[in-house]
Amino acid sequence: MLRLLLLALLCCAPPALAQLQWEKPWQEFHRPPEDDYLETKFNFRNAGTSPVTIKSVKTSCGCTTAHLEKKTFSPGEKGEIVTRFTFGQRTGGHRKLITVTTADGARQELNLVVFIHPALTVSPALVFWKVGQPAEAQMVHLAAEPGTTVRVKSVTSSNPRLSATLKAIKAGEHYALSVKPADTTQRESAELTVETDYPSDAPRAFTIHARIK
Amino acid sequence: MIAQAARQLAALLAVALVPALVSGVIQLKRTGPAAPRDEVTASEVRAWGDKVQWVDARPRAKFNEAHIPGAVSLNEDEWDRLVPAFLDAWEPEKTIVVYCDGGGCDASHAVAKRLREELKLENVHVLKGGWKEWSPK
Repeated sequence: MLRLLLLALLCCAPPALAQLQWEKPWQEFHRPPEDDYLETKFNFRNAGTSPVTIKSVKTSCGCTTAHLEKKTFSPGEKGEIVTRFTFGQRTGGHRKLITVTTADGARQELNLVVFIHPALTVSPALVFWKVGQPAEAQMVHLAAEPGTTVRVKSVTSSNPRLSATLKAIKAGEHYALSVKPADTTQRESAELTVETDYPSDAPRAFTIHARIK
Repeated sequence: MIAQAARQLAALLAVALVPALVSGVIQLKRTGPAAPRDEVTASEVRAWGDKVQWVDARPRAKFNEAHIPGAVSLNEDEWDRLVPAFLDAWEPEKTIVVYCDGGGCDASHAVAKRLREELKLENVHVLKGGWKEWSPK
């Protein structure tokens, strides 16, 4: 009887990760690209009755690091995993997984979700024509992030055979750029640089690509 | 006595089932979007022959070490600098296949998403299993 009960208890014993209670295993942030990186902590507590050893902490991207001060945590002890997500030239929504593995092989996934909002959205960032296609103008829309004023100061083309004309739909909020090739008789390429006044301390430029293929 | 032990065992298992179910429901709620459907296998891509433009979404150092023949480097750390070279190599009639290390890496999906959403390119896929699947074992 006693053996059966012990066996049952062993079968039902929670894995080490079940003993780790996480404060916020899923964290979401909204940031501008100018922040360059985001650092956040995943706090936990060993809520079990035996020590827990964390064997590894791995991230799903080279752009994200995770640091753990120590590996073994006594019952009731608190700990934290410090993560740092470096934006690079990323925009939009990103979900980074941090996988925590304990000595008994159990795994827990922590989620770091970051939405990187560029001050100006360029759509589309590529205009192209096929060789021989009519040399008609194509439109690119430049829209500022709601609540942000971004003025377009200038647009320059790296190739005079692909020119651009800027029109302010609503200055500081919405612009339309008309891109037109001189002709489409041969393959061409150009990068159009859009200079803005945002942010005021280090104004950013955006690139639109034009190709005749 | 065996019957009593079995009853106790059943009771213990029932008690253990409650937190397991709660944990399961939480995990299901947190799994996020379903697995992407834009993945293609190495054998599928091989069958496409030379109508493929490979895009290597790994960091520059790994690309320099080795890459799939014909691949161009395009990663999110150097996006602005690398996009022009990618577009010079790209041909509209080619199918784009993006890869990263494989396993748990997400760079290929992120690059594929930007190619579709920002550059409005069509026919963009991700290599299932990534570089590990393609390169010799």
